[in-house]
Amino acid sequence: MKRTASRLVYTIIVLFVSSVAVFYAIRLSGGDATAAALPGSATEEYREAFRVRLGLNEPIYQQYFTYMGRILSGDPGNSLTNNKSLTSMLSEHGRNSLILGGTAFGLVFVVGIPLGIIASLRRNSWADQGIMSMSTVAMAVPNFWLALLAVWLFASRLGWLPSAGCCGPKHLILPAAVLAFEGIALTVRMTRSSMIESQNSDYVRTLRAGGLSEWRIICKHVLRNALIPIISLAGLRIGQIVGYALIVETIFGWPGLGQVLVNAVLRRDYPVAQFFSLVLVALVVMGNWVADTGYTIANPRLRKST
Amino acid sequence: MTGLEKPRSSHAKAWEERVAAYEEEARSNLWRKRLREFSRNKLLTTGTLLGILIVGLGLLGPFFLGSDYAGQSLRNTHLPPLTEGYFLGTDQYGRDLLVRLCIGIRVSLIVAAAVTSIALVVGMALGMCGGFLGGHVDRVVRSVTDFVWGFPLVLVAVLLAGGLGQGLLPVILAVGIVNVAAITRVVRGEVVVLRTKEFVEAARACGVSNLRIMWRHLLPNVMAPALVLASYYVAVAIIAEAGLSFIGLGAQPPLPSLGKMVADGRGFLRLNHWESTVPGIGIAGLVLSVSLIGDGLRDVFDPQLRHEAKGVENG
Repeated sequence: MKRTASRLVYTIIVLFVSSVAVFYAIRLSGGDATAAALPGSATEEYREAFRVRLGLNEPIYQQYFTYMGRILSGDPGNSLTNNKSLTSMLSEHGRNSLILGGTAFGLVFVVGIPLGIIASLRRNSWADQGIMSMSTVAMAVPNFWLALLAVWLFASRLGWLPSAGCCGPKHLILPAAVLAFEGIALTVRMTRSSMIESQNSDYVRTLRAGGLSEWRIICKHVLRNALIPIISLAGLRIGQIVGYALIVETIFGWPGLGQVLVNAVLRRDYPVAQFFSLVLVALVVMGNWVADTGYTIANPRLRKST
Repeated sequence: MTGLEKPRSSHAKAWEERVAAYEEEARSNLWRKRLREFSRNKLLTTGTLLGILIVGLGLLGPFFLGSDYAGQSLRNTHLPPLTEGYFLGTDQYGRDLLVRLCIGIRVSLIVAAAVTSIALVVGMALGMCGGFLGGHVDRVVRSVTDFVWGFPLVLVAVLLAGGLGQGLLPVILAVGIVNVAAITRVVRGEVVVLRTKEFVEAARACGVSNLRIMWRHLLPNVMAPALVLASYYVAVAIIAEAGLSFIGLGAQPPLPSLGKMVADGRGFLRLNHWESTVPGIGIAGLVLSVSLIGDGLRDVFDPQLRHEAKGVENG
């Protein structure tokens, strides 16, 4: 309990520090914010008035507190390029991201765990070697190239699936599969090694000696223990999916948070870049906290030591 | 020999020579044994051969092919591989794909080298200080690395690109920062165990300074795990650079980066898919070779590390 509480305090501190870091990183960038929002012909007086209106001429720490105040009161402002309010952008694109990320997150475990179990039960067979070498290759192939191969095969050649766009179930298949790919490879490896470890442990030998059927040993005892670390570390996969979503969403034209953030950075639309990076960073930090808490619950040894 | 030294008996001299010869033999045996272990390891040999092939292409290719990676020839666009004069064909501006592939490999290697040296130097320094000195230093090191560690690399890079502008620098910094955290964690963990060992105690009892203990006694002991981990993170660096260049945040045109080349060929998949397949195979080959070498080194140096390192990497 004490550990969980101290991790919560730590998480809140991390959230604060990272919000400051994000704010400074993006606000101190060399680019002139007025260049993104105003036409090139705008006069210097007009630009100055624009800066005053946005509060860009105040000292930076003051800007930070005004900014955080506005976010916490639910009004983070508008985009510089299309003048949409950031909250409506968040709900619109956040929904898309949630659909894509959630599907990928589910795929990681629904596909990864059974494959890992098969590999560990048929150890050193062709199935095991096939699955393991597939997962080695899957970790070597960068996901954006995989995305292109998938588009080329399923969209251009076979014409089964659309190459990009939103938001039907058909559009979802390719990006979700690509996004889940590396996570699946990792989960397969972790499941396999964790299964093998618990199959070799003493209590399993005792159960075998006691004459329990192999099937029962695997289902009731080995599996349960082997899956604890994988399920409890699921929070870490959230961070991974958030990171890769930036690339995958851009490739497939999936209008989620990642695509919005990348475009905002490329166009120097700093309110959007700042707000959406904050959202994603907060998501990752929370994911790590969940992972840590899950791990503590699953590992009674950690509960005592803080 | 100065006159001040004691004259030695011939017996003592012969003894010294025998010891030296024995040491020499042991040393050469050790290297022979290591070499044999290396060559027996299938992962390591495959990875090394593949790596030599690709790195050789990147380093030596431009000497034979010229390094005109930006030269356009609008009459020869989208040529397929094995066309006369263009071994791997051309892209949409008629630029030679083979030359661009070589330069792209160079860019990947430069980024990987920069990132890995930053990560090794800073990571080992921080890890050793934190682990050995303990106290407040350790607390700061630990919370900073924990903080950085949890972040997906791509997000850090996008944030830095937001601050510094596009280019290779934010990519190098982002991957460098995340890898520093990775190396620091492992080195710190090793040092915490090592600092209670007798040889450190003995050195301290002799009045050896902290700095010297770290440099002479701890560094050689943490070198192997750090190098193994670093080889692993070379692959992460290459993938990250390619991915960020792919979405337009990394290398800026006309400098070819493998990821950027894949992106450029994207619009012409039906016309000539080689324009993105060639650099794609380049990335996959490079990464595969590095991870094979990493796995092999881990088997040779530290079989116990195998379980831990599999689950640790993140986006």
